[in-house]
Amino acid sequence: MTGREEREGAPAEERGAAPLPAEEPPPGTAPGAEGGAEGGAEGGAEGGAEGGAADGGPSEAGAGPGEGPGGEEGADGAGWRKLSPMMLVVAPATYLKNFIVPLILMAFGATQNPWALASLFAALAGLAVTGVFTWATFRYQVGDRRLEIRKGLVSRSRRTIPLERIRGVHVTSNLVHRLFGLAVVHIEAAAGGEGSEEGKLDAVAAAEAERLRRLLLHRRAVLRGDAPSAAAAGTAPAGAGAPSSAGGTGAEEGGEAAPAGGGDAAPAPAEEPRETEYFRMPARWYGFGALSVGYLLTPFVALAAVVGLASQVVGDLMERPGAVAAGERVFLHYRSLAEGSGLPVLVAVVAGVLLLLLALMPVFAVVAYTVNHWDFRLAGQDDSLVTRRGLFTRQSVALERRRIRGHELVDSPLERVRSAVRLRAIMTGLGGDSTRAVLLPAGPRARVEGVADEVLGGYTGGLVRHPRAALRRRLVRSVLPFALAAAVAAAAGLYWAAVPAALLALAGIPLGVDRYRALGHGRDAERISVRRGSLRRTQAVLRREAVIGWTWRQTLFQRPSGLAHLTATVGAGSGGYTAVDADLEESVAFAAGVTPEMIRPFLAAPEGAAAPAAEKRSVPDRRDRPEQQEPPEKGLRGPLGD
Amino acid sequence: MWTVESVIAHAVVTALLAGLAWGAAAAGWSWIPDWAVSYGWAAPVCYALFGLVETAVVPRVRYRVHRWEVTADVIYTRTGWLGREWQLVPVSRIQTVDHTQGWVERMFKVATLQVQTASHAGSSTIEGLDAERARAISEELAVRAGELRDDAT
Repeated sequence: MTGREEREGAPAEERGAAPLPAEEPPPGTAPGAEGGAEGGAEGGAEGGAEGGAADGGPSEAGAGPGEGPGGEEGADGAGWRKLSPMMLVVAPATYLKNFIVPLILMAFGATQNPWALASLFAALAGLAVTGVFTWATFRYQVGDRRLEIRKGLVSRSRRTIPLERIRGVHVTSNLVHRLFGLAVVHIEAAAGGEGSEEGKLDAVAAAEAERLRRLLLHRRAVLRGDAPSAAAAGTAPAGAGAPSSAGGTGAEEGGEAAPAGGGDAAPAPAEEPRETEYFRMPARWYGFGALSVGYLLTPFVALAAVVGLASQVVGDLMERPGAVAAGERVFLHYRSLAEGSGLPVLVAVVAGVLLLLLALMPVFAVVAYTVNHWDFRLAGQDDSLVTRRGLFTRQSVALERRRIRGHELVDSPLERVRSAVRLRAIMTGLGGDSTRAVLLPAGPRARVEGVADEVLGGYTGGLVRHPRAALRRRLVRSVLPFALAAAVAAAAGLYWAAVPAALLALAGIPLGVDRYRALGHGRDAERISVRRGSLRRTQAVLRREAVIGWTWRQTLFQRPSGLAHLTATVGAGSGGYTAVDADLEESVAFAAGVTPEMIRPFLAAPEGAAAPAAEKRSVPDRRDRPEQQEPPEKGLRGPLGD
Repeated sequence: MWTVESVIAHAVVTALLAGLAWGAAAAGWSWIPDWAVSYGWAAPVCYALFGLVETAVVPRVRYRVHRWEVTADVIYTRTGWLGREWQLVPVSRIQTVDHTQGWVERMFKVATLQVQTASHAGSSTIEGLDAERARAISEELAVRAGELRDDAT
């Protein structure tokens, strides 16, 4: 509903509007004539590429005349633009990655099958042709109200994204892109599925990407009436970006330096989107990578990949004549060794390699972590927060402030040892687990909270601990299943299964206690906070007005102890934040304190007359009885005075 | 109505199980263990008994427990028969109001009202409303949500 995609058989008036090279085939080319069309496009594209090289840069990309079917585009930067001609080099280079294995095999002469070689070259040639074709036919245009993307020659597709529907603009660039000073712009629009990508510009010059992001976000803000001035924001950054994008790798530096300069030095007067830098990653923070389980496991993932590759190569070798015989010889040789002293040596070697890997785990983790989080920055522009990170692939994510509903402080037991914590944003349109929501990498709690305080407004209230009964429930949850399994296995005589289950049950005791200790909820004047979890302990801090409903859930087992899960529903992040095993009455008071207008009408005795908890929420029976009027007094629950 | 639905669901499952048991016995495949064939009839019978009891008890409990209430600003529902669930949805945050009626529901002239908010965790369902009343409420809610609406997220 947000983006409209039209496919059409190349109508004549559009063809006229598109500034395609002259060699373009006539409109309505039949599919059969595709070869001719491709040839024409290729010739034209090469001409364009040469022109670009002569001009020395991406500024050429905007040369198309400002002419569009809508006719409502603004004066600044309205023309149809092409992708950067550098993409002709970059796209095949990126695809080449996928062919590395066959290429290596070929280089070593492992495969001499002429068909394989021919198909490989055909694929490569196809890639090159497709790249040229895409470049020649791809156009995009930012209008006053919408972004239009056109592509295709024979069957054309045109996508229109209304600017006010754009949810986020993300810029990424991998190593190859950065070598050529390019960046990929992802445009997300508000559509059904989360993380749906509506538009992708792959790839434009880095400066152009930055300009586009600002232009799109600014125009959208103006359209929504959020930003006071509709000043020509688009032209200013374009002007700032153009000189620095003189060519090659310089463009990338320029694209990076321009926004940073806005915050550090005196901002250029023409540059309207001011940028304040809140955070730049200090060197010793990279060490926290060693505390992240995901990164600790990377060597094993890499090892698995290497083993997979090796087995593939071996499999390939085995197909060659004589390989089987050679393999048998090796096997026999190994057998004779094993009969001697070979076996212990082999075991020792394998064990040594594993130990070495274990010892190197933190090193690998830190390296991988550093590559991912290199030069992490958090900056604020007018109406959004921008994070940038990455050594090879540079990612830049803009999070609109208006959509941020709160933040999450996440840590694992390992990180708690060093009291490190990560900061994530809770925002509408981003799922709970999206990596885009990362605001800060793991760092010392005090500093992270300081940044959260500065950027989003911190939480000052304490957390209420949950009743002791919750501890019992946590323990039962984490111990009982394994204890039962151990007992059953032992009864059945399966001791090999009983022992690990018993160990797991024992491990469940500290886990359960820690889970209980993590539980808590609280509120201050503007925010509420809910904390839970042990292996991934999450403290969510939500703005009060972000709460769009409450749900209490009570199972049969919770009823005797008066516990219930209280979920604050939020139209952002994971959708709801649950205070696990809170005291029912206390939680009702809590909710009433946060959103009195929502809860008060349902309190049975606002004066604090102690109605027993079990009688809470006994509404007069009205279901299936349409004739009844809603009684003036809502006979709901509890003791709550607040 | 829940009784009828329950009867139908249980009847279908029982029939399925019976069919399975009969099929296992009739086909006589060698990989089916003997005890499964000889006691195959027990599964549908046990399930039918369970279904009868559940049909007798659950809908009554649910009817006693389920409550709903629409005030000026908030929709309040209570559901569940073993576990309990209380839900509050402010009218101003409603995104959509769905009014649906299955064929069994049409037989009994009742309807289901589903109120959705921006959060999947905050959507509330009222089952077994009188059809006319459900329609009136859904229209009223839609109008009021439109009036009160801010960003709704």
